[in-house]
Amino acid sequence: MKNTLVATALTLTAAAAFAQAGTPIKIGVVTPLSGTYAGIGQQVKWGLDLAAKEINTAGGVLGRPLELIYEDEEANPAVAVQKAEKLFQVAKVDFLTGTVNSGSTLAVGQVAERNDRLMATTVSFADSITGDKCSPNVFRVNARAGMQSAALADWMAQTTPNAKVFYLGPDYEMGRSTVAAFKSAAEGKGAQSTGEVFAPLDNKDYSPFFGQIRSARPSVIYTSVAGNDTVRLFNQMAEFGVNRNVQVVGASGTVTSQNLAAIGKNADGFVTGVGYSPLIDTPANKKFVAAFEAAAKALPDLYGTDSYGVLYMYKAAAEKAGSTDTAKLRAAMRGLQWATPQGTKTLRAEDHQAMQDMYAVRLKDGKFEIVGKVAAAAAIGPDACTKF
Amino acid sequence: MPAALDWLQFVLAPQMINGLSIGVAVVLMALGLTIIFGLLDVINMAHGEFYAVGAYVAVALLTAGLNFWWALVLTPLLLAVLGYATERGLIQRVFHSKDRHTLTLLLTFGVAIVMEDVLKIVFGANPLRIEAPIAGATEMVGLFFPNYRLFVMVVGSLLIAAVWLLVFRTSIGAMVRAAAFDRHMSASLGVPVSTVYATTFAFGVALAGLAGVMLAPIYSVFPTMGRDFVLIAFSVVIIGGMGSIKGAVLAGLLLTQVQSISSLFISPVWSDPLLFGIMVLVLMWRPQGLFGKLGQA
Repeated sequence: MKNTLVATALTLTAAAAFAQAGTPIKIGVVTPLSGTYAGIGQQVKWGLDLAAKEINTAGGVLGRPLELIYEDEEANPAVAVQKAEKLFQVAKVDFLTGTVNSGSTLAVGQVAERNDRLMATTVSFADSITGDKCSPNVFRVNARAGMQSAALADWMAQTTPNAKVFYLGPDYEMGRSTVAAFKSAAEGKGAQSTGEVFAPLDNKDYSPFFGQIRSARPSVIYTSVAGNDTVRLFNQMAEFGVNRNVQVVGASGTVTSQNLAAIGKNADGFVTGVGYSPLIDTPANKKFVAAFEAAAKALPDLYGTDSYGVLYMYKAAAEKAGSTDTAKLRAAMRGLQWATPQGTKTLRAEDHQAMQDMYAVRLKDGKFEIVGKVAAAAAIGPDACTKF
Repeated sequence: MPAALDWLQFVLAPQMINGLSIGVAVVLMALGLTIIFGLLDVINMAHGEFYAVGAYVAVALLTAGLNFWWALVLTPLLLAVLGYATERGLIQRVFHSKDRHTLTLLLTFGVAIVMEDVLKIVFGANPLRIEAPIAGATEMVGLFFPNYRLFVMVVGSLLIAAVWLLVFRTSIGAMVRAAAFDRHMSASLGVPVSTVYATTFAFGVALAGLAGVMLAPIYSVFPTMGRDFVLIAFSVVIIGGMGSIKGAVLAGLLLTQVQSISSLFISPVWSDPLLFGIMVLVLMWRPQGLFGKLGQA
């Protein structure tokens, strides 16, 4: 799928109905429409399409309609850079969004800097994007990994005070960094660590580690394995009864719609920290979920929701600035408050990271239910950006 | 002292039993591989994918409404048909050429890639699951072990013994060994060599398929699952001696114990390098492996 998807302007009819004189504001979307992350790219597209349609129907931004221009980045940072450059140079887009994997976001951020344009990610988790690798041209409207850890650690401290935690991660960068991040968040809230083990990626049998886990007698097991590894770990833990009287918690990517079916009831009780759940019980979210389902014939996940939210962020910033000029927009986005399905979010001026309420969610019968909520200020963590 | 006892009871003992259950699984995989190599002199690169096909055939049979035990019986039979057809239709065509090793290796490797993709197209890339037919776990002197794994260990051991008896104590086995020892002499003495070849290949594939069904409830089912056991199965065959059943059993149990116990002391990531290190040492010391070939044993 090397073909370029240019899905120009939805709803020109709706725009025409309001007889907008202004030329469209072009929003470039560099997102994986094929490959491993195509499922995420699909949610991104659904969310953006819905928000653009709503905004255009309501009169656009500063009287101008939004036009989305899609490019497939194939979940490959090198391709993402080419496509972003093309959007800035050839299509002359005013703003860029859609990047999914953190490597793509970091790389495209540099392209935005060179072209003196702004961009925002709605999906990437890596703390560094609004941390030590922050950029004056990059904003993040979704929750970062540290906020997910904070929400989970907070829930754990409330339900299992002084928890004894055993950590089991996959042995590569993501596995080690997620374990380290959660460990420091949990220990900050009084949890004790009873041991850790890092299993190779694609490990087939976890039973050789169960002896260590059992003899450590943990009250909580934290894991950040993903994909097929989660299937085996959870089913084998159930087989050996390792999870009896133990609370299993983990990273937000550990149990997904891709692997949940193969885990079944053995995933019940698993708790993780996330920035969104379709079950959030507010009028704004219910209205959003209904509109999303009607348009996409699927429930929104956090990617779809935050991609929906980014266009409203752009609208709020442009209206506050009264312009789409980069410097004025940047000043407007810093400290900006805007409404999203999750409630009001604030873009922190110091590191361009969105502050939002976080949720602890628990699996029950194949569905995540909300079991805890952490206020934005408690979850955000310190500002680690020193570049601006 | 309690700490040391704790360690023996909760860590070392279960570790060795776990190792044994993985060992039986590995031997089941290695058995088919070593028989095919010992007789046909063909390195079957598709062995892991036949294992995966076995698991998926079981998924299909269960979806069709059969219970696990029927799937356990029917899958190896269906896989034997597939193996027979593969040998007759593909392997036999390149078998008599001069560079048989290269050609059959490439051929079976190609078959492996095709099979993996066919599984992905037919069943999708997401993992599937087969519920273990025996639930629960047994607790003995503080040791906790799932009943289904006990079943796999017992049935696996019986199967291994049965294969050994078949090859060494029956007239069919004698024909197979004769064909492996000297195919021209056997043919002139009335052994239907090409049928023996196809049947043996089918038998090896059936064993892989059987391993696929038996292990699916433990390891779950997905298109790339064939890569799981095949590397360790190959090293078992090389260490045990290409074509030796005795060698495969011994090397299989030994290597899995080494992996299992070593993972207590060193990072689990090192268990594969350790395995291949042992393989290299054995090859330097005894290039033919611990035991001789099928025809000689």
